[in-house]
Amino acid sequence: MTQRAGKLLTATRYWPTELWANPWSLPRYRAAAAWLGGIVAGIALIGAGVGELAAWGDRLLALLGRLGLSAVVVAWLWLLVKLGCVLGVIVANGLWAVWWERKISAHMQSRLGPMYAGAFHGWAQTIFDTIKLLLKEDVTPAAADQVMHALAPVVAIAPCVMAFAPILFGSELAAAKLDVGVLYIFACAGISVIGIVMAGWASGNKYSLLGGLRAAAQMVSYELPRGFSVVPVLMFAGSLDLAVIDRAQAGYWLGFFPRWFVFYPVVGQLAFLFFLIASVAETNRTPFDIPEAESELVAGFHTEFSGMKWSLFFLTEYGYVLLSSFLLAAFFLGGGSAPLPFLDFIPSWIWMTGKAMLMMFVFLWFRWTFPRLRVDQLMDFNWKFLLPWSFANIGLAGAFVWRGLG
Amino acid sequence: MNSEPRPEMAAENLIVTNPALQTDTMFVNMGPQHPSTHGVLRLGLTLSGEVITKAVPDIGYLHRGTEKLMETRTYNQCVVLTDRWDYCSAMPNNLAFCLAAEKLIGAKVPPRAEALRVVMCELNRIASHLIFLGTYGIDIGAFTPFLYAFREREMILDLYEMLCGARLTYNYIRLGGVAADIDAGWIAKCREFLEFIKPRLDEYDTLLSFNPIFLVRTKAIGLISKDSAVAWGLSGPNLRGSGVNYDVRKAEPYCGYEQYDFEVPLGRTGSCWDRYFCRVQEMRQSVRIISAALAKLPSGELLAKGIAKIPKPPPGEAYAHVEASRGDLGIYLVSDGGTAPYRLHVRAPCFVNLAVLQEILVGKKVADVIAVLGSLDIVLGEVDR
Amino acid sequence: MISYFKAVFLGTWALVQGLAITLRYLFKPAVTVQYPTEKLLPYDAFRGALIFDPATCIACGLCAKACPSACIALENQVHPETKKRVPKVEWYTLDLGKCNYCGLCQEACPTKPKSVWHSLDYEIAFSSRDEMVRCWKAGFPLGGRTWDAKKKAFKDPKSHISVRELPARKR
Repeated sequence: MTQRAGKLLTATRYWPTELWANPWSLPRYRAAAAWLGGIVAGIALIGAGVGELAAWGDRLLALLGRLGLSAVVVAWLWLLVKLGCVLGVIVANGLWAVWWERKISAHMQSRLGPMYAGAFHGWAQTIFDTIKLLLKEDVTPAAADQVMHALAPVVAIAPCVMAFAPILFGSELAAAKLDVGVLYIFACAGISVIGIVMAGWASGNKYSLLGGLRAAAQMVSYELPRGFSVVPVLMFAGSLDLAVIDRAQAGYWLGFFPRWFVFYPVVGQLAFLFFLIASVAETNRTPFDIPEAESELVAGFHTEFSGMKWSLFFLTEYGYVLLSSFLLAAFFLGGGSAPLPFLDFIPSWIWMTGKAMLMMFVFLWFRWTFPRLRVDQLMDFNWKFLLPWSFANIGLAGAFVWRGLG
Repeated sequence: MNSEPRPEMAAENLIVTNPALQTDTMFVNMGPQHPSTHGVLRLGLTLSGEVITKAVPDIGYLHRGTEKLMETRTYNQCVVLTDRWDYCSAMPNNLAFCLAAEKLIGAKVPPRAEALRVVMCELNRIASHLIFLGTYGIDIGAFTPFLYAFREREMILDLYEMLCGARLTYNYIRLGGVAADIDAGWIAKCREFLEFIKPRLDEYDTLLSFNPIFLVRTKAIGLISKDSAVAWGLSGPNLRGSGVNYDVRKAEPYCGYEQYDFEVPLGRTGSCWDRYFCRVQEMRQSVRIISAALAKLPSGELLAKGIAKIPKPPPGEAYAHVEASRGDLGIYLVSDGGTAPYRLHVRAPCFVNLAVLQEILVGKKVADVIAVLGSLDIVLGEVDR
Repeated sequence: MISYFKAVFLGTWALVQGLAITLRYLFKPAVTVQYPTEKLLPYDAFRGALIFDPATCIACGLCAKACPSACIALENQVHPETKKRVPKVEWYTLDLGKCNYCGLCQEACPTKPKSVWHSLDYEIAFSSRDEMVRCWKAGFPLGGRTWDAKKKAFKDPKSHISVRELPARKR
């Protein structure tokens, strides 16, 4: 009787009824809870130990100055450092967000997700996937416009990276201090649409072109409620500068309730919801992901892109998700300020990142819960519901400011 | 939000009729390899822009010649082949064939076997409708209910595995009765499953059935009128979704279905949502039937007496039909007195249901093809046999 | 007017309830098993890969007749002196590629315990067609051996039938 060599662990078959009757009785459940708690506590303590990153940045700048280089060289070096940090955030986000999406979607679906690549819950999965994508053959269809085909992903991702310049990663932790930060971000986000249209055109495929045009129409349409839902925030803060918006939300009512814009009665919640929905639509996520829908007949705009080109589109999508998460956190959830006064030993960059990750979780949550809307229904929703109500919201915010409540 | 196009956007106005303008219709193949055609189906669509002018299903990619194969196999061996028609719900396939053969032989199935047959077929109905629910959710874009449905379905497959040893192709319902018996442990596990699935069905209602996005995608789409449904020969939830009250279990009861108290869910408008919701409600009714059958399970034999090991039915012909998960499955069996059937013909519900696409897709937009096709719930094993 | 707001509110509430469901399942334990490192044992009745015991077989051929796919072939031993066929099996082959896993051969076998039966093995993937055909002679292991046409010898198959046949054999 031949026996297979090696260890064979025979698992016990549990029905969900038994597993869920008392989850805490399962050792792996307790271990998972301990790990999660440990990771959160660890991050908080490391943050508390490191303190505010802005202070470290100042020290680095002073160090550069003391190296005896000219002021221009120091300025350029400092620019490179900031650029490296922002690019690092975007690339690290590409790796992290995909892994987190797979994990969250898996746990919502009663399964585990990546477990194999990298010993602990497959943390290295995306790294290996990236290597695989880099090594893939770059197939360009013969009927396609070769130059456009190569340029399209670049035109899609470059504005995404540019848009991160004024984003506040904590208090005083932005790459560029722009007093028109909000306007600049929305302007850059709009340029990416050109890349999508180029991708559709350069595929040399009628249905990809239609898909690209549809995606462009969707993205351009949803930019309007996105911008208009932020206007109440700008009215309350009085400036387009993200740092000013962040400071306007510091402080507490009655000593313990944070002054975040999302808590402003009706106006804040509506603005938050509209901005959230419009951001989900902007980034082509379900329920608005017709351009990328895998099970539809018409191909999406990125069908003819393989390997690195496709992964650039992918990075763009997750880059915009990260951008939207940071914007949601900055505009509505108070940016770097702590929710309760005694928690401000944890520095602002941890709070900002934490809130952004919470918002990213909401993006993922929406994707794995809702079905998708058809294209004309999605446009109806935008023009006939979101846009008029965001105007109404601006009126409501105006009433607030007029009464001196803003 | 209105999911029906406005009058000025109606199909006739979108198809360009100006003779001076040169237009072309485009022929698009959907399948046979496609994530949403639920098997190897080729749908040839002729498009004029966004609008479908002609839809022709092209089948046969899964044809295995079972009707011919059965002419050279004994009746017990034929049962094995029947499993592979509608492989998502194999018990009713076995049952239909065995009923036809029992009519030829003139065998009387003992009451315990009949009750077990009912329990197994209804469990299979739940399993099959769970697959439908999951895959239809994916077609519409909701990925999560698929995994929930399969998590529930695992429990049913476990029950079948405990019972007869197989999870998909059971070979359980035999000529004259059933092959294996259940004990108190199995009944307890089955009851545990029934208790588990009741709240899950409510969850599916929240996640899908009454989700506004799902409603807007399926409520006014794929309308089949009562007359159309009957004219095209639809059966099962496709027919009942249009409001026609015909269920073989009520119209011509078999296996003792007349003793069980259950309702037949009917739709109102014949939309995709009506067909979908019929199936969800049928799952609830199946739970009722199984509970009732388990409660009054008679004791006794599992197989009719007097059936030979290799049966040789007297010459003649018989037709038996059952309410399979996908519709009215009929078996026409002709015997010439030998050990193998002389001729077997399968009236496959999915084969007949598929034809209605030629009518309901014309004039509709491409984006709705997937929703409509999914709502018909076809399994190519049954279409092609 | 009121119906408009009611529709919006009810729609939003339905969406939120959907979100609540997925959030609840986020915190429940996963129901899956990590396959290559953790394997599930099927129930005793499971119809896995067929295995054969030449020692108990009486070479009646009922299994070969019962099979719908004609995947079993066997030959009786012949008594060396009387030249009559003996109720013992000389050789027995099973083509696992043709097998339907229907259990009819197992049901047909008259010996107690059964000579051909479905083990609990479900890891039956082959990399070549030759490996699908299992052969038995007296003394061969229960999982059988495959015939290597080039070397003209029997060899142990690369993909083992590795399991756990004891519980299944109680029938």
